[in-house]
Parts: sequence; C-alpha cells; structure tokens
Amino acid sequence: MLRLMLAIARKDLILFFRYPINAVFRVVEPIMWLTPAFFLGRGFSVDGTAPGFAAYTGSGDFFSFILLGSFLGAYISAVFWGIGYSLKMEMDAGVLESNWMTPVPRFAFLVGRTVTSLVITTLNCTGVLLASWLLFGFSASGSVGRAILITLPMLGGLYGFGFTFAGLVLLIREANTLVDVSSFLVGELSGRGFPVTVLPRSLIVISLALPTTYAFDAVRAILLGTEPLLPPGAAALVLVAFMVVMLALGWLSFTAIERLCRARGTLGLH
Amino acid sequence: MPASVEIESLRKVFQRRAKRGLLSRRGNGTRTLVAVDGISFSVTAGEVFGLLGPNGAGKTTTIKMLCTLLTPTSGTARVAGHDVVKEATKVRAALGTVMTGERSVYWKLTGRENLAYFAALYRIPSRQARPRIAELLERMELTARANELVEKYSSGMKQRLALARALLAAPPILLLDEPTVGLDPQAARALRELIGSLRHEGRTVLLTTHYMAEADALCDRVAIIDRGRIIALDSPASLKQSLKAKEAIRMEVQGSPNGLEDALRALTTVESVSAKQSDNGSGTCELQVITLGSRGCIGPMIEAVRRTGHEVLHFQVVQPTLEDVFISLTGKSLRE
Ligand SMILES: Nc1ncnc2c1ncn2[C@@H]1O[C@H](COP(=O)(O)OP(=O)(O)O)[C@@H](O)[C@H]1O
Ligand SMILES: [Mg+2]
Repeated sequence: MLRLMLAIARKDLILFFRYPINAVFRVVEPIMWLTPAFFLGRGFSVDGTAPGFAAYTGSGDFFSFILLGSFLGAYISAVFWGIGYSLKMEMDAGVLESNWMTPVPRFAFLVGRTVTSLVITTLNCTGVLLASWLLFGFSASGSVGRAILITLPMLGGLYGFGFTFAGLVLLIREANTLVDVSSFLVGELSGRGFPVTVLPRSLIVISLALPTTYAFDAVRAILLGTEPLLPPGAAALVLVAFMVVMLALGWLSFTAIERLCRARGTLGLH
Repeated sequence: MPASVEIESLRKVFQRRAKRGLLSRRGNGTRTLVAVDGISFSVTAGEVFGLLGPNGAGKTTTIKMLCTLLTPTSGTARVAGHDVVKEATKVRAALGTVMTGERSVYWKLTGRENLAYFAALYRIPSRQARPRIAELLERMELTARANELVEKYSSGMKQRLALARALLAAPPILLLDEPTVGLDPQAARALRELIGSLRHEGRTVLLTTHYMAEADALCDRVAIIDRGRIIALDSPASLKQSLKAKEAIRMEVQGSPNGLEDALRALTTVESVSAKQSDNGSGTCELQVITLGSRGCIGPMIEAVRRTGHEVLHFQVVQPTLEDVFISLTGKSLRE
C-alpha cells in the first residue's frame, strides 16, 4: 500500500512541475493569504500589538495568530485540492479509467494523490516560517509536538471530508469551484484569519460546529498562549471523534457515489 | 480449452436524463437506452476474438463491463474465472485493457515514466519492472523516444504505448477497444502485426472493431453485434461461407444514392442493398448488393439502376466479405 501511494505521489510530483503555472500558484498562495492581513493588522496596531485584537484573544501578537491560521488553512486546502482537483484533472485528461481499472484499491488512489499536495504545503509552510522568523521576528513559545498532535486528528477528519468530496467531483464532474468554495468557507469559518469570537451570532454557530475551529484554536492556545474556546484536552477529544465519524461517513459516501458512477458509466469522457 | 471470458445474458441499460430544472421533478424525466441487450458468448484461452459492429452497437459498453468500469444491469460475466462484479479486483489483475482513443496515458509524462507508474500500480517490483519496461518499449519500437513527453508522440506511438501499458503485468487476457481507430493505414498495420504477435504468446485477446477487414485478418472467431445484440458468431471463413450460395456485387453509379436502394430491393433476386456516397469526391455512389446468386439478375439490376436515371460506371461480382455478411444480416452497411 505504501509503495502504491509513493508511486502515485511521485507521478503527481513530476506532473506538478510539468504544469508550471500550477506550481507557481501553489507556492505563492500562502504568501497571498498572509500579506493583506499582515499590513491591515499593522495599520491597527500600536507598538506592534493590536489592543482590540488582544481583547478578543488574550494575545496582541496578531501576526503569529494569522501565520498559524494560514498554515492550518493551507493543509485544509491541500487535502481538498489534492483529492478534488487532481481527480478532476485525471477525468479531463482521460486517464482516470486507466487508473481505475488497475487492481489498486480506491483508497490508495485517494490518499496517495494527497501526499504530494501535503509535502508541497509542508515545504511552503516551512519556507514562510523561515521568512517570518527572519523578516518579522516570529517566534512561538509553546510545545510544537503537542500542537502537531492536535493537528493530526484534524487532518484525519479532513480526509473523511475529502472522500465525500472526491465522490462529489466524480458525480458532478466539476472541481474548481467546489475546491475553492469549500476550502475557503471551511478555512474562514474555522478562524483562519481572525478569532471566531468576532463573528456575528449566526455565523459563530456554524463556526463552532466545525471541529476544525477547535484545532485552529487549540494550536494557537498551545503555541501563542491565546485564550482557548475549549481546554486542549477537550479539543483533542472533539477532533478524534470528528476524525472517526468523518472517515467512516466519507468512505461510505465515496463508495456509494462511485458505485453509482459505475452504474451510470460516467467515469470516463462522455 | 478453458474459457477465458464467459458472458451470459449480459445487459446494460442506461438511464438518460431528459433536461429538466434542478428542482422540478414533474413527469417522467428519464428515458432508457438499451446499450447491450442480453448477449452471451465465451472466448477460449489463446483465442483472438472480435466483436464487430457499427458505431453505437454496444462494443465499448461490453468492454467496460468486462474491465469493471461499468456494472451490468443484469446477466453475468466472468474473466479468467472471476465474476466481474463480485471479484472485481481479481478481474482487474487478470486483464490488460486498452480503451478507445489516445488519452489513456499521461501526456505530460514520458513514455518510460508512464510505464514505470503503471508498473507500480500493478505491483511489479521495481527490479523486475525496469527490464520489463525496456523490453516492452523495444517491442513497441518506442525505445528511441522513451524519454520524450507523450504529447509529442504520434497517434500510432500513443496507441503502442497504451498497448505496452496493458501488457506490463503480462496479463493472460487483453481487451482492446477499437485498437486501430484514428490511426493512419501504416500505423494501423503495425499495430495489427503486434496484436497478431500476441496470439503466438498464447494470450487471449478480445478486440472490438468496426473494420471488417481487421476482424477478418486478426480474429479466430467474430461475433457480429448490432444494436446491443449478437446477430452472428462464427469464424470469419464460416461467416463468409454462409453467404456462399449468394453473391456480392459492387457497383459504382453516377449521381446520389437517392431512390437506388428501393429500386434494387424491389427485385426478387436481391436480398439486401447498401448505398453510400463515394468518398473519392467524384460525385458517384457505391452500391453493395447481396443477391441470391442467380446469374440472371445482372441484366435486371442494371436495368433497374438506369430506370432511376443513373448510369452504371462500374460493376463487379466479388467474393463475399464480412461486410457483406453484415449487410446481409442487417440490411445496412457497417460504416454509416
Ligand atoms: N454512459 C452512458 N450513458 C448513456 N448512454 C451511453 C453511455 N455510454 C454509452 N451509451 C450509449 O450506448 C450505446 C452503445 O454505445 P457504445 O457501447 O459506446 O457503442 P460502440 O462502442 O459499439 O460504438 C450508444 O447509443 C451510446 O450512446
Ligand atoms: Mg466504442
């Protein structure tokens, strides 16, 4: 299974660099997220801290807050992008059927195709982190290990979501809007760029219903010492439950939709 | 001989959605289309078997059901003894499939990268994959261009690469859907030779085609399929033999085919007629007529053509081909 996924990832990595515009876009993307927020935040701050912001979060360091948010957001879009967009690309190129008729479990195809996306995101984040440290003096005090432990079940849950998503791409044969809108909405409503407590009541309900919100929140609490919505232990429990439920639901819905597509004959070009 | 592919009353019905609003579910919005209508046949091990039929006959649908891309509506199909629905993974492992068209490989990868990728999907250990890939590239005459992107390949090269991909895991059974469609005559001939060579390796081949000459030249047995049904199944020789008592006549006449078919069908000795505009651009049309073999019909036929206001330019009595078998069975030509 691992070898299969590595082969898929290797192929994706080669293709990634053969479509140069994609490659450039994916590298520039996190910087695009970060820049306006950084300068806007700067405009509202006094001596490098933003007092209004501090009242919401318990920390005046808006830049680190947004930086961590954009990292986690980048992983969200990596999963969506990795699963949805690449599936659509293979459908359009006509190679999906060639892949689908090999004796490879569908699971390996779906997960394998996110590997390259995750690796590139990790490289991007490391690069941005390095730049932030050099340029803006970014530093985090808390335990990075614990932050990563919180992030893992969030990613697991996102994979579940991604499976459903893959099914939808097969069904409606469209991905760009779906990828953009979902990763944007999930990212924003989880508090990628702001503390969710600033949201109006109607939106905060949705936001608090998204387990990703607790991951963002807990990671910031651990690393930056912000005021958490839930204690990190409780957030971890929520996220593990989310992961289990989403993986099960995601897989069931994907296999159901894939079966439907095989009955309809809509996997290939038609 | 064990059967490699066994198909039993296989049927595929597609639901066609009539266009309607997203929310309105009024009326009966779906029409059904029977693409494959209860076909049965088996292909024995080591045989090259052809499904011959015009566009839309259900050939691709049949192949897709066999390679597990499509689930049958009813009936059963077994490949290498495995049921295509219940044991899909085993079926996939026993098959090498080349679908129609040239988009079954990655255009942005090189030929060699494509094969390396698919070899990994078939779980061929990389130590064995490398010589296997080299051997297949050599056999498909792609070695010199193996490190170029596939998008630079000609159609014939893409198709040979697709065949190499299908052969990677040395599967006992190959499914080839219209392998030579869209290729220039030379490339098509090269590919036919390759397919011929597969027989000598003892591989079972099930191919589809709408070129009767291809079916005739390559296949041990041919099933003629039309509108989802098999209307004849035998060796090419026997199929032609079935027309032995009859004679096939080719005519080239001046003008358009209008009215000619009916005029000839009115003759009692004429069994079936197919007329089409010739594609040589000289404004003539070609007639293929199956007669019941009485020599006496030639005079009346020419007479009938003249009466419709056409002039006969060329007239020939020929050995029946598979095309004539098809015309005789369906009353229409393979290429519409
Ligand atoms: N996925 C599909 N949905 C609806 N109709 C289909 C689908 N695939 C094929 N068909 C229809 O089924 C019939 C048989 O098609 P096909 O098997 O592709 O024929 P062939 O390969 O012999 O040309 C055609 O009328 C075609 O339009
Ligand atoms: Mg076809």
